[in-house]
Amino acid sequence: MDISVKELEHSYNRGTPFERNALKDINLSIPSGTFQSIIGHTGSGKSTLIQHLNGLLKPTAGSIQIGDFLIRAGEKEKRLKALRKHVGIVFQYPEHQLFEETIEKDIIFGPLNFGVPIDEAKQRAAKLIKQVGLDESYLERSPFDLSGGQMRRVAIAGVLAMKPSILILDEPTAGLDPRGRREIMGLFHRLHQEEGLTTILVTHSMEDAARYSDNIVIMEKGGIALQGNAEHIFADSDALKALSLDVPETVQFIHRLEERFNRTLPQSVFTLDAAVDAALTILQKEERS
Amino acid sequence: MQNIIIGQYVPGQSFIHKLDPRAKLLTAFLFVIIVFLANNWLTYALLGAFTLIAVFVSRLPLRYIYNGLKPILLVIILTFLLHVFLTKEGPLLFNLGFLEVYEGGVKQGVFISLRLLFLIMITSLLTLTTTPIDITVGIETLLGPMKKIGLPVHEFALMMSIALRFIPTLLEETEKIMKAQSARGAQFSTGPIKERLKSIVPLLVPLFVSAFKRAEDLAMAMEARGYRGGEGRTSIRLLKWSGKDTTLFIILLILSIGLLLLRS
Ligand SMILES: Nc1ncnc2c1ncn2[C@@H]1O[C@H](COP(=O)(O)OP(=O)(O)O)[C@@H](O)[C@H]1O
Ligand SMILES: [Mg+2]
Repeated sequence: MDISVKELEHSYNRGTPFERNALKDINLSIPSGTFQSIIGHTGSGKSTLIQHLNGLLKPTAGSIQIGDFLIRAGEKEKRLKALRKHVGIVFQYPEHQLFEETIEKDIIFGPLNFGVPIDEAKQRAAKLIKQVGLDESYLERSPFDLSGGQMRRVAIAGVLAMKPSILILDEPTAGLDPRGRREIMGLFHRLHQEEGLTTILVTHSMEDAARYSDNIVIMEKGGIALQGNAEHIFADSDALKALSLDVPETVQFIHRLEERFNRTLPQSVFTLDAAVDAALTILQKEERS
Repeated sequence: MQNIIIGQYVPGQSFIHKLDPRAKLLTAFLFVIIVFLANNWLTYALLGAFTLIAVFVSRLPLRYIYNGLKPILLVIILTFLLHVFLTKEGPLLFNLGFLEVYEGGVKQGVFISLRLLFLIMITSLLTLTTTPIDITVGIETLLGPMKKIGLPVHEFALMMSIALRFIPTLLEETEKIMKAQSARGAQFSTGPIKERLKSIVPLLVPLFVSAFKRAEDLAMAMEARGYRGGEGRTSIRLLKWSGKDTTLFIILLILSIGLLLLRS
């Protein structure tokens, strides 16, 4: 399902002294099956934006088209539940949403709400618990006995169990250790490729954004400051600095190397492996000449 | 969820904002008493005028107050209807077959509803124009003499300030969890009653878990910073009684005398 956001605006607490304009003039299009990252400082409106994509928040102005669902300011979309079946959101600190007695029950909460038969829901739970890196024996345990990181994994499984075709991740690795972070991001990347998901990742990590995304949006004070593919975004490190954001370390490193030896590489480099290769290429060429 | 104004403080510079919290607390308390003096149209009009002027002077946006009162309006209307249909006094006004409406009932209904409305408005004004901290310091000072007879005034005030402080946090949390569960297909606002009750569980459990966690964290943080009760503790906020506060009391006195003279 393609997503197309047009002239979206949102103010919180309309008509009260606490009114706050959180989004203005957002235009964004996310083709089906792509990996979209959203970057921005705290308070720039990232979470507000993604909550519009399954009708949790209603636009103050503008419209959102998701497949054949249309959400417009001032109109009621009656098929919200159907829409939410397609759009899964892993919220910031999703472990706060756990509530059932057993992990299995919590994971199948979503699927059951959307009318999945209980047997199939349980099968999904058994498969997912392993995918998120926990043993199947955990299914019968209480989610409240787990460590924070494990709870996060269970909560993520609970969203994946709905089998959404659009998966939205709001800072899914915040507060995890580096290894947990790599594992979780690896899982999302694998699912993105294997299941052909449309993935929208809200993150502070330039590295993650660079490594996984087809497209990146940079938000600033409720608007979109920069937009484009990773090469395009990270080529312009001055624009990023102006927004007090960093270029990924690998990109920085290669830029410095290119400057130092006065060479340019044919393509951008985002992963560590690619950076090593690129550095080798430059150094070898340098040796030869 | 966004309309709830209990425990909210709206910053401002009005006459009412600048009053000493003790003056406002005492006024609210006295108002609760003198409201019961009113018993005819004239006295109710007097109370209404006082309330309206107070709202006007506070310079709070009227629409905001109205929206905040909406949920309570239902209770008021219900009260009104109960009185209208159940009080059988005075001449019969009209008869709907199974329902008989008497003049006394209508009068009772209007009076009781107005009384409720005035009380809610005045107490809301108190919290809307006073920071929770100021309310607490005010209560603690006012109740200070009670410490002598062994009442745990400080602890009471602390409990209250923590409760007030966490109302917005809890509301925020509620909204977050509601959103997270809605995204997983839970429905809170539609469906039959039985379904709705069941749907509250996924909301309440996480709320309780996080509230207990918050309480524990707070207790730990307070202990780590050496908190050990009110003994010998002084407040950084010094309350100052000014001419404004005395003026308020004079107005209140005039209002009370007016009520006493005009009531029947
Ligand atoms: N529920 C809410 N009520 C009122 N204001 C909010 C609410 N949620 C967010 N905001 C405000 O909207 C702005 C954008 O917030 P948010 O979308 O959460 O930013 P981000 O996710 O990029 O950190 C912030 O200024 C924030 O204070
Ligand atoms: Mg956020």
